[in-house]
Parts: sequence; C-alpha cells; structure tokens
Amino acid sequence: MRALRLTWSSAWQEARANRSSFWFQVAIMVVNDLVWIVFWALFFNRVDQVRGWDLDQVIVLFAVLTTSAGLVLGLMSNVRRIGELVSSGGLDAVLVLPVPPLSHILSRRVETVHVGDVFFGPLLFALAGHPNPTRTAVFVFGVVCATLILCGFLVVMGSTAFLLGRNEAADLGFHAVLLFSSYPVDLYGAMTRVFLYAVIPAAFVTSVPARLVEHFSPGWAAATAAVAVVVAGLGLAAFTAGLRRYTSGAAWSSA
Amino acid sequence: MSTARPGGRIGSALGIPLRAARLAMDGVRAEPAGLVVAAGFYLVVALALSGVWRSAAEASGGSIVGYSTTALVWYIATSEAAVMSLPFRLIDDIGVDIGSGRFASEMLRPASALAVRVGGELGRLVPRLAAIGATGVALGLLTGGRPPDAAALALALPALLLALATNLLAQHAFAAIAFWVLDARSTWFLYQKLVFVLGGMLLPLEVLPDPVAAVARLLPFSAMAYVPARLASGHFEPELLLVQAFWLVAIGFVAHLVFRAGERHLVVEGS
Repeated sequence: MRALRLTWSSAWQEARANRSSFWFQVAIMVVNDLVWIVFWALFFNRVDQVRGWDLDQVIVLFAVLTTSAGLVLGLMSNVRRIGELVSSGGLDAVLVLPVPPLSHILSRRVETVHVGDVFFGPLLFALAGHPNPTRTAVFVFGVVCATLILCGFLVVMGSTAFLLGRNEAADLGFHAVLLFSSYPVDLYGAMTRVFLYAVIPAAFVTSVPARLVEHFSPGWAAATAAVAVVVAGLGLAAFTAGLRRYTSGAAWSSA
Repeated sequence: MSTARPGGRIGSALGIPLRAARLAMDGVRAEPAGLVVAAGFYLVVALALSGVWRSAAEASGGSIVGYSTTALVWYIATSEAAVMSLPFRLIDDIGVDIGSGRFASEMLRPASALAVRVGGELGRLVPRLAAIGATGVALGLLTGGRPPDAAALALALPALLLALATNLLAQHAFAAIAFWVLDARSTWFLYQKLVFVLGGMLLPLEVLPDPVAAVARLLPFSAMAYVPARLASGHFEPELLLVQAFWLVAIGFVAHLVFRAGERHLVVEGS
C-alpha cells in the first residue's frame, strides 16, 4: 500500500512539476466544462423540462460526471492506456515489480488536464447544486459509486486487448461510456436505455446518482452500490484473467 | 520511405502535397479497424445528441426554433460528420510536432511544410468521411426519415467538403501558437468548444440568444458545422456556400502567413 501511495505521489509531483503549465491546463478544462453548462442553459432556455429533467438536475448530473471522470481520467489516467499497454507488450516493466500490477498501473500517471474536472465538479455542485448536508452526502456517495463503475468499466474494456490484441474496443468503450453519461438517460429511446443500464453502465455513472440527489431512494442507492462493486470486481477479474494470456513484448516501457 | 521526384519548383510545390495525400489515404485504408472505430464513435455521438434534440422537439410540440424532429436528426447527423471526420487532437499533434523539432525536419522538403501537412490530412480525411458519411445517411434515414429537402441536401455535400477544408486550415492556423508558446497542448479543448457552440455543432445557431447568434454567424466557426447541417436539415440557402468559400480563402491565407512567420521564428530545442 505504501509503495502505491508513493507511486501516485510521484506521479502527482511529476504532473505539478511545471506549475504554470499545470494551472493553465486545469483552467482550460474548467473553461471546457463551463461550455457544457452554457450548452445546457441554452437548451433549457428553449424547453423548460424534458422527460422529467430540468437544468438544476442536469447540473447535478454534470457535477457527478466531471468529479468522477476527473478522479478516474485525471488521477488514474493510465486506465485509458491499459489496452494500448497490453497490445504493445508494454506491461513488462510492471510485471517485475513487487506490487499488484493493476494498482500500480492506475496510480502511475496523473493527467493534468483532467485534474481540472476534479476542481470543477465539486465547485459546480457547491455553487449550483443547492447543497445541504443530505444532498451533499448523497452526492459524495454517487461520486464514489460513479468512480468505481467508470474505472471498473474502463479496465474491463482495456482488458479486451488481452483477447483481441488490439485497442480499438477499449477506445470505443471509453468514448461511449463518457458520452452516454453526459446526457440524462431518459432522453434516449427504450432500447438504448436498456443498453445503458445493462451493457454500458452509463446510466449508473451519472443519471441514477443525480436522481438520487434529487429524490433519494434506498432501493436505487443499494442497486447503484451493488453495480459499483460488481463492475469494479469485473474489472479486476478481467485484468487478472487477461494477465494469464499476456505474452511479453520484450520491450522495456514507461508503464 | 518515399522520395520526391526531381522537378520544377511548381511541380514540387503541388506534387509533394498530393503525394502526401495519397500516401496518407492509403495508410488509412490499410487499417480498416480504425475506420470502423471512427464510424462507430460517430454513430454513438450522433445517436446520443440527436436523441436529446428529438426529445426537446417532442416536448415542444414537434418542432423547436423552426426545426422539425426530422430536420434536427439530419442537422445533428451532418454537423457531427463535419467535425468528427477530422482527427480530434490535430491541434495537439501539430503542437507536439512543432515543439519536438519534427516539424523543423519537414521544412527541409522542397515544398511548403504547411501544404504537405494539409495534403496528408486531406488524404486521411477521404476514407474517414466516406465511412462516417455513409453511417450518417443511414442514421438520418433510420431515425429521422427521408431528408426534408432533396435539393438542399444536394448542396450539403459540397458544403461538407468546404467545412472540412476550412476547419483543417483553421486548426493549423490555431496550432501555430506552438511556434511561440511551448506548452499549448490543451488549447485544442478551447478550439473544439468554439466549434461545438459558436460553430453550431451541438445546436442550431437559432437556439442561441439573438445577439450571440448574430456574432456566431460572423465568425468562421459557423462555416465548419452549421452551414452543411443547416442545408442538410432542409433549408435551401445556396448563399451559405459563398460564406464558406470566403472563410476557406481567408483562413487559408492566415494559416499561410502564420506558418511562414512561425517557421522564421522556430527555435529547435532538440529532438
């Protein structure tokens, strides 16, 4: 555990090595996120409510998304590179270390630009999410579940490279889960909604946590927590099973 | 590795970019999996966003700011195709190449480095556009129905090509900041968002408040997504092609000037 903490700490310091660049990139992402808020404000300026969602709820959804995506893509940014590392034989450097390979990979790299999301999400919730103790607690619960689901799903998708030898499926899965999570699930058709609850768990990444903040339901909260545990477990199992198939690329890498 | 044939200055100036285009096109065609992913990603994005606007139109009695549900599906299918046929991080890639010194080596060729780069990107664009365009037409027909106006849709094709060429040149002009600013990597996020909102990729410009829409129409970004999407959504407005042609020439000229100035300023830090 100590080794992993130190690994992540060094990744964080590496990201912050150039202070002005760090803050510039954080600011860029904050501006990027603000543009989405502007989009939704314009959208709901034309329609008050769509299928039960209004601007306030979408802001909470976006706060959950940016916080959890920032935690996963910013602080565990190698999660996006698992497929690439596997297909290029780039895991060799990790396998010789006396630490769990997946944990090491996830803690090894910090992507500065997504750290902006980690700042933006909670700030957005604090300013526009009508926080009170209950809503804040549910928001934190939702973010934790969303982070586990997102991370687990990306590990599963990255691990497909062990089987396929290619990274394309991981890439597509990454874009799909983030994109579908960016919109309320109820805006999609019935078939797509089933897909987003059962196959790509995008509904549980944002829509369900955002709805819980508005109207807490113990049943949905338990379901979300269960999905988080299952998807995270699937990620670990897929990576562990995949490692058994892994053949070295005979190349030293920067994993 | 290919080499340029000896020839006159004009022959080299045109021949090398054309050759770069052909090589890049062959490279993309040799990797069909990449095309499948690009088309798949486009499908996901266009499905999601058109679903949002369809819901909005349905909630507003069948149309919104003059766009019917069908028109909105064709709008989004086209605006997304206009943006997603180009690589997302082109500005980032160009910046990295300038910063790493790779671009400096390209300046040794007997042709404009900018022209060779644009030629290569155009070559890469052709198969991507074919894959994404076919997916977009299928999406429009299956989820939106027949296009609202066949004549306007016919105009959308040249508009799409002009949009892509304008966007490509604008990204090069924007990326040229890397000649002067060492860490310009994340600026592509900002450029992208300008195209998303002021360019009309996420929403028809008519959705914007009137003063903002008026400003957006004066900016080049609308030529990159809004114009082809507006045409494909059934608005027969051929004058929009002239607006695009103007921006293509203007931005091409700016890109040429900025790259020329950048090349003069270039300091290689080691590669």
